[in-house]
Amino acid sequence: MRKILLLAGILFLLLSELIQAQEDAFRYLDPIERKYSELKDYMVDVKVHFDIETLKAPDMQAKLYFKAPDKMKVESPKIFFFPKEGGYFNPSLFKKKEFEVKLLERLILDGKNVVRLKLTPTDTGISNKVFVLTIDTDRNLIKEIKISPSEGREIKAAIEYGMFNGFELPIRIDLQLDIPEGEPSGMREFTQFGQRAKRITGKVQITYSNYKVNSGLSDEMFKEKDSHQSKSSP
Amino acid sequence: MKLFWLETYKTFSRWRTYISFGFIALIVILTEVVMKLSADEILYRMMRSFQQDFLIFGNVLNGWFITAFIMNSLHIHIPFLITLVAGDIVSSEATSGTMRLLLIRPPSRSKIITAKYLTALFYTTGLVIFLALICISFGLILFGSGDLIIHYETKFRIVFIPEAEVPVRMLLAFAAAIWSMTVVASLAFLFSTLAENSIGPIIGTMAVVIVFLVIGNFPFDFFRLVSPCLFTTYMIFWQRFFDDPIPWQEIGRSAMILGFHSVGLFLMAFTVFNRKDIKS
Repeated sequence: MRKILLLAGILFLLLSELIQAQEDAFRYLDPIERKYSELKDYMVDVKVHFDIETLKAPDMQAKLYFKAPDKMKVESPKIFFFPKEGGYFNPSLFKKKEFEVKLLERLILDGKNVVRLKLTPTDTGISNKVFVLTIDTDRNLIKEIKISPSEGREIKAAIEYGMFNGFELPIRIDLQLDIPEGEPSGMREFTQFGQRAKRITGKVQITYSNYKVNSGLSDEMFKEKDSHQSKSSP
Repeated sequence: MKLFWLETYKTFSRWRTYISFGFIALIVILTEVVMKLSADEILYRMMRSFQQDFLIFGNVLNGWFITAFIMNSLHIHIPFLITLVAGDIVSSEATSGTMRLLLIRPPSRSKIITAKYLTALFYTTGLVIFLALICISFGLILFGSGDLIIHYETKFRIVFIPEAEVPVRMLLAFAAAIWSMTVVASLAFLFSTLAENSIGPIIGTMAVVIVFLVIGNFPFDFFRLVSPCLFTTYMIFWQRFFDDPIPWQEIGRSAMILGFHSVGLFLMAFTVFNRKDIKS
């Protein structure tokens, strides 16, 4: 009986420690959610520059529309490629109920207090993306997002902010891609025995300008074919 | 020149000459209509490796994209259509028993064989131009215009060509395709001078093309060593006009190698024809 009580006590202590750690980690996400709670929508001019050896494309421009919590639309007269992960700013992406949050470390980066959090989805059936966020706790800003969307893929987004209508919004996102090459198919793509598949690495630089914040974008404009409901981007 | 036009008239008077044009028109129209009906599915299948990491907006599946896709799909089949005429152009004279009649007339053998060769090239050029015209015109009507995205199978390799550059690149690609097909026409023409019937040259040419293509594509080191010696390796050099930057040196080398093949094959045909014994 005494052993059972002891075990229960240890379990209780461990569990409360775990809950405490979770609460502690959420402490850094809550202020960000509050900071952007008044951000209803925005539209912005986007310019994308690719620096990927296997993607030869000129700089592309488009207009991006976002409406909270997760509607996004892009308008471009020409063909436009936009990174699926980490390409645009969505402050309500990291909801408490959808992630298990773990505090990885506290550190000082460029003279600023910074924490690193690891966010693991609670329901892996919906998403298996693991995020590592670097948060500037002085300004409550997500400075860097490391995303592992699926096996072998890794995307890192470094974000720079500017002030627009009282909101700190990205003026530049530098994406670093490290993804495995697609499965080969067809005669020409056969690899010699023992050869390993190559990885695609490169950078995508996204710059934002001419923000219009809270202009009252209607839901209807997001119902067109080219709009996306995002569950993945920052 | 008169001989050339006479040969051209003879060639285009035969109904079999138009089989190739009809086949191309049918395939292209059928492909484009099917692609129009299942555009989303096709786009997904073609770009799925890229779509894992990027959202794509705009008219990707446009007339230029469709043309490049059809060119890619048909570059193995077009040689067969070329051999139908080029492989028949000399041997048909033997089959129909008009060879002696042809050779006892004033024009020299050299002039006759040159006129026939030029006719084979004229037909080859016409066929590829017809493919270009039907692909582009029908494609642009059905799918509209736009930037051209060249995606390499399921690999993450994309080349983006702005709309303004596409017509020139397409023109160059089709010119290169004509140049490539000239080798096939020359080979079929050589076989045609050697044979007494048309089936042999047609099957012979296709056998060479298919065997060379298979050898050139085998994923083993030995075949990779052999590959540069096969003319089929250079026949797809038209695709390089959709690269960024355009590898002019590689294109020049391929064009030169193919050119040497064409000239060599014609000279062989020329010699064979000039030495042909028509008395027996």
